[in-house]
Amino acid sequence: MREVRLDGQTLTAEALEAVALGRGRATLATESRGLLEVGAAWYARHAQGEILRSKWALLLGGTPPDDPAELSRLFILGHCAGVGPPLAVEEVRALLLARANVLAAGWSGVRPAVVDRILAALDLGVHPLVPSQGAVGAAGSIQLAHAMRVVFGFGGALLPGSDPALLAALPPVTLTQKETLSLVNGSSLTTALGGLAVARGRRLLRQAEAACALSMEVVRADAHALAARPAEVRGHPGITAATRRLRELVTGSELVTEQRSPDSFSIRCAPTVLGAARDALDYIETTVARELNGVGDNPMVFPGHGIVEGGHFHAAPVALAMDHLKVAMVQVASIAERRIFRLTYGNLSGLPSFLVPGSGVNSGMMLAQYTAASLLSEAKGLSMPASVDNVPTVQHHEDHVSMGPIAARSALEVLDRVADIVAIELLCAAQGLDFRTSGQAVGADGQLQAVEPQQPGAGTRVIFDRVRERVRRWEDDQVLHHDLVALGAAVRDGAFG
Amino acid sequence: MTVLPLDGSSLDLGAVAAVARGRATVRLTDAARAKMARSGGWVNDVAEGRIRGQDGRPLTVYGVNTGFGSLARVRIDEGQIRALSWNLIRSHAAGVGPMVIAEQARAMMLLRANALAKGASGCRPELVDTLAAMLAADVVPEIPSRGSCGSSGDLAPLAHLGLVVFEGEGGEGVAWYGGERLSASVAMARAGIPRLVPGPKEGLAMTNGAQLTAAIAALVCHDASELVRLAEIAAALSFEALRGTTRALHPSVHALRPFPGAIATAANLRRLLRGSGLADSVPDKVQDAYSLRCTPQVLGAVRDALTYAAQQVSIELNAATDNPVVLCDEEGDNKAFSAGLFHGEPVGFACDHAKLALCELSALSERRVYRLVTGDLSARLPPLLVEGRGLGLMMPQVTAAALVSASRQLAFPSSADTIPTCEDQEDHVAMSTTAARRAWDVLQNARRVVCIEFLAAVRGIRARRAGDPGVALGAGTAPAFAVVDAVLAGDVPSDDIARIERVVSDGSVLAAVEGAVGALEGVWRA
Repeated sequence: MREVRLDGQTLTAEALEAVALGRGRATLATESRGLLEVGAAWYARHAQGEILRSKWALLLGGTPPDDPAELSRLFILGHCAGVGPPLAVEEVRALLLARANVLAAGWSGVRPAVVDRILAALDLGVHPLVPSQGAVGAAGSIQLAHAMRVVFGFGGALLPGSDPALLAALPPVTLTQKETLSLVNGSSLTTALGGLAVARGRRLLRQAEAACALSMEVVRADAHALAARPAEVRGHPGITAATRRLRELVTGSELVTEQRSPDSFSIRCAPTVLGAARDALDYIETTVARELNGVGDNPMVFPGHGIVEGGHFHAAPVALAMDHLKVAMVQVASIAERRIFRLTYGNLSGLPSFLVPGSGVNSGMMLAQYTAASLLSEAKGLSMPASVDNVPTVQHHEDHVSMGPIAARSALEVLDRVADIVAIELLCAAQGLDFRTSGQAVGADGQLQAVEPQQPGAGTRVIFDRVRERVRRWEDDQVLHHDLVALGAAVRDGAFG
Repeated sequence: MTVLPLDGSSLDLGAVAAVARGRATVRLTDAARAKMARSGGWVNDVAEGRIRGQDGRPLTVYGVNTGFGSLARVRIDEGQIRALSWNLIRSHAAGVGPMVIAEQARAMMLLRANALAKGASGCRPELVDTLAAMLAADVVPEIPSRGSCGSSGDLAPLAHLGLVVFEGEGGEGVAWYGGERLSASVAMARAGIPRLVPGPKEGLAMTNGAQLTAAIAALVCHDASELVRLAEIAAALSFEALRGTTRALHPSVHALRPFPGAIATAANLRRLLRGSGLADSVPDKVQDAYSLRCTPQVLGAVRDALTYAAQQVSIELNAATDNPVVLCDEEGDNKAFSAGLFHGEPVGFACDHAKLALCELSALSERRVYRLVTGDLSARLPPLLVEGRGLGLMMPQVTAAALVSASRQLAFPSSADTIPTCEDQEDHVAMSTTAARRAWDVLQNARRVVCIEFLAAVRGIRARRAGDPGVALGAGTAPAFAVVDAVLAGDVPSDDIARIERVVSDGSVLAAVEGAVGALEGVWRA
């Protein structure tokens, strides 16, 4: 089990994902514990008036209850207004962790016990049922309220597999007003989903590069497109890096060689598109990492200096990044789909139509390309930016919101479609490569004939083998779904690099 | 259980919903059976080389003795014709992603059965009998929801159905029966339904047509017809809570701009508000904000859009949708007509337009929620409609805003896209299945927004009645208020929204209102 120390400064998307998936265990860093104690104590001495009561008066104009515990309870329960299907377990865990890290930075005026309690819920596998819908990514978070309601003992439902008795056995934490506010006042849902999206997007992009390299072998791509110098003179670091990776994968290939005629764009421009996506992911990851370690809370507490009201709960930075992630990954999928089209198109590939001997009575990979096209089209629709919208909320007070949670949720939806498209490219490319390595091609008479067998590069050979460990070569039609499921799972796991 | 006759031309949206939701089953009529047998017999004759073409050689018919799609150029030997059908089912079972929910899968089976019952598909009546038996026994195949382009039909979803209906070497589907997830062979055996070996063209007959699109579209149109009426009821309650002015609903006003939807919405609102002591109770108020005053214009446009969608979908419910169609009454030896009836475009358009309409239904509703909870817009209701000591309805309005924004994002028209498939033979596709699935998502969002409006409007009326206990509600709003008011606990907003969702979804609200004022006008007629 990987140890993830929370200090409010060093959490990565990848570590967030590890904890979310139960492969990592988060603890509060010792130095953070000290900072939190100082901040909470300073806040207790210096805060003017009662923060929750004053917010209450600002927003509601009414009189809040006197009893502090009742005040916290009503505040949190009043925010529980989510609807729709629940967040997945890993999404709930990421949400809790992201919030814990915001608090761990020490600018919120909360005690270490609050963070400990959240981490205890993660440790014990107590997973609140959090409705996924009803989040606009600004100020009071409905999803944080649903989660914290359970974690801090105000009732609420749990996801299957959680044992609430484990949490009830812990000593209760009586929340201060500032702590109550800090638990829900931020865009941690956007950040959490954004962190998962970055981790998945990074991995998926590497799988997409692997699939692309395999296709390049099958179409016997012109190696000039993978040369280092042209990429360098254009100057985009992502293109240089993607070109290098593809080149390394095909190194030693008898199929990808320097030829006289350039390939179609889906082959020749692949390093450009994959590289542009790499650069986009760099920006997106940087932004999400900042937010994971940024103080998405309000007000902030600067011990010795003051208490400052701001707007750090607004999820705009991650909302923009998530909308961009969708576009970048749709472009990756779009060019992959065109390669799948090319691979399955007999006249373009020089291989049997739909990559199966005896096309006719067999339809081979015909429907694999349809599925890719459908998934791509769906992903295009989902990549419509969420952050261009705004709906004024809370009595003119919260009159501009980010829609970050919608952007992040649709980014995850897009990634899910792209993963299956990459799986389809791997399936089709492996099916095509078998013809090349066994020396079969379609001749001028349209019949399959023997030619000189040609072998792929060492890197692409490994990718091919990993495909073949999971799905066998098609000689006749089979149920395509099983192969798509097997390779889809492998792509999501990052089995191809 | 009602048993509906299935003949390829008698389904309506209500029948689809009834069968999909387990309230009715179907039986193939004798006339349809005879027609099916005739076209199936002709296909058999082709498969066995008994029909000759103009050149005197055995007739070539797409999908009977040719490959599929661009492989139509490949002639299939007589000995491989059955393998061709089974291979089609196996290789086309290419769906991915979460499974289609049971009522959508059942609707898809029903619509495929009805398309075949038309008798133009060249398959045996036993296919329809098997589908009808599965509907009656509630054997629900697992259909992955993603991966169909809607042209040439919903191939992958229907092939997954085919993996349950048909048996053959090397592959079978999965189905739910009696609460268990089972292999197709076990599920069908337990239900006592024999599986079929696919005959000539029968793989194609099972898969060629946009029935998942149409199934989802039909349920959307059916449910949207209810939701429009519910949205009108919620709007009428908001009218009262906000003390709106009904002059904007006057029939003479709407006769001047006679969109049928607007006329219907205005009429429904007038009926619902008849006798209200809250409507028109602010002296000298000349007009309301758009979210009240323009309700007939916006919901009317929604009605007109949904009427168009329902008309298109209703045609598709009773259409033959495969290729080729076998027309035994036409002259000449070749009864097969290769055409493009499978293309999902007409239903895709309908779904794209329906989701736009439903998105706007919810957008208007959300703006009324905002007014109801916003102190200086609500004609002096308590800010955020606080009752007691909670936060009131601050966050439910946020939830409504999020739902509307999510729908807006989903409202991008799927039909606007196309990606060439199948070696450029199928070079324009409908993406209708995506349109239908997004319309479904938007419908669920919109229903929840309307539920939040019920919550806010009922709490607004409660506040009015606290100041004036004897004030009368309208003829239709009074029963709606009573049903919703009775389920509210006022504890946690999402719990109250869920309680309202129950009385909205189970028909209680609509039944109470229509029981009092008679049936409100829907957007399609049974």
